[in-house]
Amino acid sequence: MIRHLFTLIWNRRRANFLLVTEIFLAFVVLFVVGSLLVYNQQNYQNPLGFEYEQVWRVGLDPGTQPKAERLSTLRQIIQRLRGLSGVQALGLTYSNTPFTDNHNTGDVNAVKGGHKVEVNSYWMEDDIRDVLSLRVLAGRWFDKRDDASNVPPVILTQDAQEQLFPQQSALGRIVYKGKKEFRVVGVVENFRGDGDLSSPKPAILRRLTAQDTSYVGFFTLLVRVRPGTGAELERQMTIESLAIGKGWSVGITPLPEQRAAQLKRVLTPIVAMVLSCVFLVVNVALGLFGVLWQTINQRRSEIGLRRAMGASAGAISGQVVGEILVVTTFGLMLGLGVAAQFPLLGVLGVSVGVYLTAMVLATGLIYALTAICALYPSRLAAGIHPAVALREE
Amino acid sequence: MLLSYLKIAWKVLLRRKFFTFISLFGISFTLMILLVLYAMFDFTVGPQTPEKRVDRLLFINRLGLAMPGSDATSNPSYSFLERYVRPLRTPEKVSISTAGGSTVAYLGNNRLDLDERFTDAEFWQVLDFDFVEGRPYNESEVRAATRVAVINESTSRNYFGTARGVLGRFVEIDGVRYRVVGLVRDVPATRRFSYADVWMPITTSAEDIRNPDYLGSCIAILLARRPADIPAIQREFAQVVAGAPVPKLGGMAFKEVRVYAESLLTATVRDESNEHGADAGVGRLVGIVVGLALLFMLLPALNLVNINVSRILDRSSEIGVRKAFGATSGTLIGQFLIENLFLTLLGGLLGLAMAAGMLHLLNGSGLIAHTQFGINGRVFLGALVASVVFGVLSGVYPAYKMSKLHAVQALKGGTNV
Repeated sequence: MIRHLFTLIWNRRRANFLLVTEIFLAFVVLFVVGSLLVYNQQNYQNPLGFEYEQVWRVGLDPGTQPKAERLSTLRQIIQRLRGLSGVQALGLTYSNTPFTDNHNTGDVNAVKGGHKVEVNSYWMEDDIRDVLSLRVLAGRWFDKRDDASNVPPVILTQDAQEQLFPQQSALGRIVYKGKKEFRVVGVVENFRGDGDLSSPKPAILRRLTAQDTSYVGFFTLLVRVRPGTGAELERQMTIESLAIGKGWSVGITPLPEQRAAQLKRVLTPIVAMVLSCVFLVVNVALGLFGVLWQTINQRRSEIGLRRAMGASAGAISGQVVGEILVVTTFGLMLGLGVAAQFPLLGVLGVSVGVYLTAMVLATGLIYALTAICALYPSRLAAGIHPAVALREE
Repeated sequence: MLLSYLKIAWKVLLRRKFFTFISLFGISFTLMILLVLYAMFDFTVGPQTPEKRVDRLLFINRLGLAMPGSDATSNPSYSFLERYVRPLRTPEKVSISTAGGSTVAYLGNNRLDLDERFTDAEFWQVLDFDFVEGRPYNESEVRAATRVAVINESTSRNYFGTARGVLGRFVEIDGVRYRVVGLVRDVPATRRFSYADVWMPITTSAEDIRNPDYLGSCIAILLARRPADIPAIQREFAQVVAGAPVPKLGGMAFKEVRVYAESLLTATVRDESNEHGADAGVGRLVGIVVGLALLFMLLPALNLVNINVSRILDRSSEIGVRKAFGATSGTLIGQFLIENLFLTLLGGLLGLAMAAGMLHLLNGSGLIAHTQFGINGRVFLGALVASVVFGVLSGVYPAYKMSKLHAVQALKGGTNV
């Protein structure tokens, strides 16, 4: 039966060529959009590795103040802000705070000149662990002991440890970043500061203190505030900071707000794409429906003859649905051939599992869609009365 | 002749309403999406307030210091622009402003996020803002670092609770009080070189205008006397840049300063791509966008082709009669193309209306601050062009098929396809 259907369609391949092309294109569109959705959904499921509610980012721009004076002003501001009653914990960091789309990436390796691992670098003062509620899995967090060490300390995330020292503990080992050496003092949970939908990327945390003079152009603080505090504390922090830093400017943003803004930025194009894709699919479905309907009208005499020869209504509607599913299969085979190139060539740069899931999803969706589109025309075909159809001839 | 074709087309459309609905649905949605994108493009880099004279404007917004294997790119600094751009002889006027930043104003215990921009006095002459009240600040106010500000209507509403009569009142930004001297209509955030909520004299900013580094956070906008002067200005600027000494930065021995005066489109693309080579990537971007648009149109076009083929088979006896009475293939192809163009133009009109609604929704959603997207002459023209392209794209193959029908078989109502 199925062989027979394939032969039927193959014999009419010129007439079905357009339908096959359309299904092929619809599949490719669904596959690409599906890959992106599956990819983002997988990223979203990974834990962030820190807590952002009740955390504010404070950006401090020293403006035109001479560079030599900036650090002491900063230390005074930090001290004053720590004293505020609404502030629970506060630490200095660099401007690549979570959800900002600022990145600081670089390569590190476990052996000089060895296999490189690209990581996100974060600089954190000792108190940042309390601000972001980071969880230390092994070793320890930065503390006063690091002041005296001549090899600067570094903390790896779990995935950085796994990639740099597979199956081993990184504690006490040295990692290299260019010519610089760092000693691993601890391992924390995976830290995804780039945001909810970012791809997983290993990270290293470096220690920062308010004595560090290497970069004084712009300062960033992360502050954990008491629950329930709002604009009043924010305003107080601004006033207190500006009272100490004359000519400085202050920008305070709650991390939940930054997260919402980032999600909006990332999701808007995705939503637009999904909407366009839905429109294309609906369009294809309607078109398919129309074409099938028209085909049934043209094949009335053929169907009438089959009914007269004793074919049941079920057999007729089965044939109509079967035929369109065979056409779909031809289109899908072409589509899967193209889709298979994506993981082979690494077009979108996502893992093979994502592509496979998207392929299965797109295939299922296309089959379901064509079957639904064929349902009504097939009922129509089954309802053709042989006597009426044959007399028209 | 044309009229009778159109009459036939209309009758055909009415005869099979379901098919007409499918066709119009596909056409209008496709064109709507393309039109929304085109309108957004036009409202980002087209001649709109405040860059009304966009064909006479040049922008300098990125400066790259390059050496083999390494480079640094940022906005140019105030001092670089002051030293090398301000003295140019070919432009009519040069304006220097900051690239924009954000700040927070507090109203009691409420916070108000404001985008700020510090500019010189020429900024207001190079660009055409719509002043509702008051005036821009002038040169002497900029020189004296007077604390005055121009604000937009939204800020006025949010800060003072009224969109009129705020001249002479004060806004407090970063602990400094600025007197409002002018009120302008909102500028969409898509205008990245002029947009702000508050504009203030550059001399009152925290920007270090005496810092001799090349890299900073400013931009320059140049106004040419005539559109034809643009190449001359670019040549003069290239000469000046070639003569500028290459600075040292953090012990790196840079070989080349790369900075260009460019149109709004190129400068916007460069701002986004952060490219510092001579080619900002506009050509590549246009190629990708046109390719994607065609690809996007392909599926609805194929769909329409499919439906059109079905429609023609439905009309085979009509075609048989026409052929039997001596109509040539060319005539039939022409008739069918006109019918199809009629259909797509109808769809284009629908698409235009839907696009207007969509843009209205976008404006209301506040996705991008202060947007006033809408349909203008250029977008309308775009709709027309897209409809025609779509009509031809989807009409040629069915028309060809139609002309190949055999008169005898067609008369019988049968088909040979």
